This record gives sequence, C-alpha cells and structure tokens, in this order.
Amino acid sequence: MSAHSQIPILRIGSTLLVSIQIDLHDAVAEAFQADVLSAIEQRGTTGLVVDISGLDMVDTYVARILAETGRMAKLMGTSTVLVGMRPEVAATLVRMGYGLEGVRTALDLDDGLALLGHVIARR
Amino acid sequence: MIQVAATHRLSIDCEGDIIAVRRRVRDIAELRKFDSFATAAITTASSELARNALVHGGKGVALIEEVTDGSRLGIRIVFEDEGPGIEDIPRVLAGGYTTARSMGLGLSGSKRLVDEFALESTPGSGTKVTVTKWRRF
Amino acid sequence: MDHRKYMTILKLDEAAIASRRAFFAVSDEDLARLASLRPLAEKIIDAIVEDFYALLLSHPDTRKFFADEATIRRVKRTQREYFMGLFAGRCDLAYVEDRLRVGAMHERIGLAPTWYLGAYRQYLELIRQHFDAQLTEQGAARDGFLSVQRLVFFDVALAIDTYIAANLEALGRHQAAVRELSTPVIRVHDRVLLLPLVGTVDSHRAQQIMESVLTHVVEAQARCIIIDIAGVPVVDTRVADHLLKTAAAVRLLGAQVVLTGITAQVARTMVQLGLDVSSMHTVSRLSEGIELALGMIGKAITAKSK
Repeated sequence: MSAHSQIPILRIGSTLLVSIQIDLHDAVAEAFQADVLSAIEQRGTTGLVVDISGLDMVDTYVARILAETGRMAKLMGTSTVLVGMRPEVAATLVRMGYGLEGVRTALDLDDGLALLGHVIARR
Repeated sequence: MIQVAATHRLSIDCEGDIIAVRRRVRDIAELRKFDSFATAAITTASSELARNALVHGGKGVALIEEVTDGSRLGIRIVFEDEGPGIEDIPRVLAGGYTTARSMGLGLSGSKRLVDEFALESTPGSGTKVTVTKWRRF
Repeated sequence: MDHRKYMTILKLDEAAIASRRAFFAVSDEDLARLASLRPLAEKIIDAIVEDFYALLLSHPDTRKFFADEATIRRVKRTQREYFMGLFAGRCDLAYVEDRLRVGAMHERIGLAPTWYLGAYRQYLELIRQHFDAQLTEQGAARDGFLSVQRLVFFDVALAIDTYIAANLEALGRHQAAVRELSTPVIRVHDRVLLLPLVGTVDSHRAQQIMESVLTHVVEAQARCIIIDIAGVPVVDTRVADHLLKTAAAVRLLGAQVVLTGITAQVARTMVQLGLDVSSMHTVSRLSEGIELALGMIGKAITAKSK
C-alpha cells in the first residue's frame, strides 16, 4: 500500500481499515486523505473504518480532513464509520461547535464493522 | 494579582511548530495535573491558535506561561503574529468567517474551550490572542 | 495523610528549606548554640514537660485531647523528643520531616491552631524562665532564647502549612464526592446506562454531566445512555442546549442518548421556546426509555409465559 502518510491501510475483503496512531500534522493529514482515496480507487471498496482511538487531540483542521475524507469516499461509493473517539475529543469538538454531522460513528472496531454491514446491506 | 511562575517562548514558523506548541502545552497541563478534559481543551485551543497565527500571520510566536492567582494554577498563552490583522472581530468570533481555512471555527471554537479569551487586532499590524485555562479544584 | 505526602504538597526540598531558614534567620550559629545547650536542655526537660502539660490539662478545651493516663504518658514522651530536637543542632530535610509528623499528628486529632499556638506561648515562657535561672553569663540567656525562638517559629510555620494543606486536601475530596453524587451513572443492562438528573443544572454542572456521561459511555462501551430529567425543576433554553451538546458528543463516540422524564410542563416549555430536540430520542416515562434503549441493543422486555 502507499506509504506517503506512514499510516497503514489494511484491507479485509471489501472493507478498508485505517488506524491513526500518530499526531496528525497538516502534511500527514493531507497525505492520509490522498492515500485512503487512492486505496478506494484501486479496487472495489464498499466500506471504510477509521479508528481514531489513538488520537488524544482532534482540532478543527483534523476533524475537517476526517469529515471530508468520508464525503469523498461516499462519492466513490464507499461508506465510512469513525470509531474509537475518546471522551475528551468528543467534548472538545462539540464545545467548539464541530459536531461532525453526517459522519457515522461507532464505539469500537466491532461495532463499526457491524454498522457498516447494516448500512451496506440496506443499499 | 496574577503571578507568572514560568515562561516558555516558542516560535511558529512552519507546520511542525504547531505540533511543538500543542505538545508543550499538553506536557505542562499534564505536569500541573490538569484533568484530562481540561488538558484536551487547552491543547486543542493552542493548536487552533498556533495554526491561525501561521496561516493568517505568515509566522508568529507563542508565549506559554504557567500562572497562579493565589488560589488556582493556570496556563496562559499569548499568540502574536504580524499578519494583516482582522477587520471584523465580532464576525470572526461568531464563527462566521469562512474565507480562509479554519479561520472562523479556529478562533470562535478556541474561545469556547478556555476560561478567558482576549483578542486584539489592528488591520495592518497583526493579531494578538491571549487565552487562559485554570485548573479545576 | 502521611507526613511524607505533605513534604511533596508543600514542595519542601533542600532549596525551599534553605529559603525558609534564611527568612526565619535560623543561622548555623543558632544551630551550633542550640547544640551546645543540649546538656542544659537535658537538665530542664522534666520540669518543662511537666509544667507544659499542667497548663494543657488545666484548660477545658485542651484537656479533652488527653483522655487517659496512657495518652498523657505517650504525648509526654513525644514532647520530650520534640524538645530535644530543638537542641539537636540541625535543621535539614530529616528535621523538617520530623516536624511535619508532629504537625500532621495535631491535625489528625483535631487540635485547632488556636490551642497549638497558645501552647507554644507557654512553652517559650517556660524555656525563657529556665534559661534566665540557669544561664548566668552576661547575655547567654537572651542569645540562647533568641535561637530557640527562631527555630520554634520555623516549626510553627511548618505546622500551620500542614494544617492548611490538610484542609485543602479534605475540601478537594469533598468536592470530588459532591461531583460523583451530582452525576450518578447507573448500569441498567449490559451496554445501557442511566443517569437520573436531580436538581438544578447550571453551566458548571452541565459540563460535569457531559464529561461524566462521556467517560462512563466509553468505560462501559455503552450503546445507549438514558438521561432522566424528571427531577430537574426548570428546563429552559440553556438546560436544553446543554442536553443537546451532550447528545451530540455521545453520538461522536458512537452511542445514543434517550431523554426521559419529559413532563407536560417541560414539553410545553420546549415547544413554546422553539427548542429542537429532534436529534435525541425522547419519551415521557423512564420505563418506556428503558424499553427503547434495550431495543437498541437487540433486547426486549416480554411477559413471562405461564
């Protein structure tokens, strides 16, 4: 897989799995977006799970990259679920007025994959 | 009377410096035993404001101060840049500014994360944002 | 609380002790003088300790701290150690630690600073009397007494700091207890939580509620948290806004909020104020909320078949 952002992208069947474990600074965040989109482009992908349990801070810039990536994936026919957001991150985003409306969320990987299953079955 | 116990001065010249600023703020908040929610709030606010100084001012400086008012510990951070300044401060603080990336939400959002927020800006001579977060008892 | 913990809280390291010593004018000369007075101290210690406790036992407010003969014998022994400590000729970390132990002990038995300070007055007078009687050389009694006084004030400051630190620590613990009580999150079922809110919700408490709800949801991996507001007297725009923010944050975690306990009065207010709570599931009764929440995790309450 592409390694511009140094964030590994795993594929399980038609689902892509990305776990962000490093502090996302701007260049990495943009490379991450490009890597994910080109991975979706390569082969038939129906679902994308982004695990952010490793992030202890998400500012509006990173939040927007995440939300945008989801919308771009959607245009390419891939549903996105954001999983593992920490309590402090959720509180901070909401207080800033950034509710990530339109982004699907789940508590952990298991819940995220289950949710994707439902969403894709309904399509 | 607010007393300054320690001062850290960091310059913001590139994207990497935004991370340096927020990491330093997080380290100080954790060292001073801020709870995890307050730590996330001041760290995120400093990330927003450092990016703001870089994007809109070209470069800037963050002055991180460990302060006390006699009964509480706090972190005060002053962000200064020599950019074009802000024309319509109320509009920016209401979060209505969307012309440049993250400008509106950056300032209005970070204001909601801290206990004290002051914005001084003169068009043509830069912007100075001062934020303070107090440790909860 | 252990006296070592006070060393940390009061930030008493070598540098801090040196700074205190300089301010209280406890010089090396004083310490040397006190060490040289040690034989005299051994001679007068019995009389001083006896007279000191005579005062403490004669006053009703201090007498109650000495319940029986065994206690009196024990504190007299401690007092002798304290007294001889003044003439040890040192004022270092070990000395300060020893003094904090005494301060922590007084705080623990609930002896107010009033009686502690008052007792010191008696203590100093007794020492002065004995010095005057025994140190006949010109100026010796005065110099010796000044050295004692400097070290005693140094000790008193440590004791008062210990009192204050102990009280602040207790206050912090009580506030933490109140915080816990103000957001009692209950586990209703595997992955379903309930928060019954009782009392006024101001913005300070609203923030605590949000943080507590989010922490509990992640800890319990809860799919749903029921917030029951039947016990909240006034639900206005502000309270509704706080609830909406909490619901939005819970959604970011991947869980949901069910709002229950909405009375006719609250429903009327919400509609009249134009509050949109459509992002939350809302029901009137808690029991319905529980059924709704269980449905979200694929469970249902059914009647037992006969």
